[in-house]
Amino acid sequence: MADSAIVARQFDDAAQQRTAADLGIWIFLATEILFFGALFAAYTITRIRYPEAFAIASRLTNVALGSVNTGVLLTSSLTMALAVRATKLGARKASIAFMSATVALGLAFLAIKGIEYYLDYTGHLVPALNFSYAGPHANQVQIFFYLYFFMTGVHSLHMIAGICLVGVMIAMASRRAFSPAYYTPVELSGMYWHLVDVVWIFLYPLLYLVARS
Amino acid sequence: MISHPVAPARTYVLVWLGLVTLLLLTLGSAYLPLGWLNGVVNLAIAAAKALLVMIFFMHLRSSHYVLRLAAAAGFFWLAILIGLSLSDFLAR
Repeated sequence: MADSAIVARQFDDAAQQRTAADLGIWIFLATEILFFGALFAAYTITRIRYPEAFAIASRLTNVALGSVNTGVLLTSSLTMALAVRATKLGARKASIAFMSATVALGLAFLAIKGIEYYLDYTGHLVPALNFSYAGPHANQVQIFFYLYFFMTGVHSLHMIAGICLVGVMIAMASRRAFSPAYYTPVELSGMYWHLVDVVWIFLYPLLYLVARS
Repeated sequence: MISHPVAPARTYVLVWLGLVTLLLLTLGSAYLPLGWLNGVVNLAIAAAKALLVMIFFMHLRSSHYVLRLAAAAGFFWLAILIGLSLSDFLAR
């Protein structure tokens, strides 16, 4: 695996093999889009039905922590893209450094999300656990928080999966498993990482920025 | 042979700067009293950020058209999922 790519027998050449791998990951990512899509559809329907409640509920989220976390995640996508680039160029140490930065930023995201969940808990905003809200539209506000916890919770699970994946890539890279001719696992892990970022890019305005003005 | 031309690091940093700028724009715009336009601006900026990530970080810019089609298909089916669900809820 050092200098030339190993081409499986069903492919004509390495380029075709890479395109097949990329097609595979895009099809998987499309299923991820639809997986989150069910939650986005539920959000859309309930927001259209209860606009006042969603406006109230969104103002109860922590916009400062949510915005910082968006920046953390966007930056982690940059370091991941640079890690894939370094791997393609055969810069092993840079690739490991960028992937370590990606893991660190991913963990920072989860830590900030954890602080946010704690503040939601102390603010009595967790449905089925301690939800209590005395204002108008209390039940519909609770629906928003069901969606908030499901959407951010499932997203955080994807973050944990991504962190594990990149961790495996760091271990493989340190055992010199990749070269400019073979870097598919790093490339595909990067694709997964970026898609989880894309999901958050939509979650951020939908959960934190409704009716702030 | 090279199906993934390697973009200069500068490109990635510029895309990241664009993403952070859009993040600040969406946060700032949310505090302007634009009425229903707030939601439209927020979603438009989110779509722009997602496109930046997919075109540059996920290399759709230099990808085979079949890959672009596969990427678009995910969002096409998402539009069907949300559109047809709404056609029920909005028409009740």
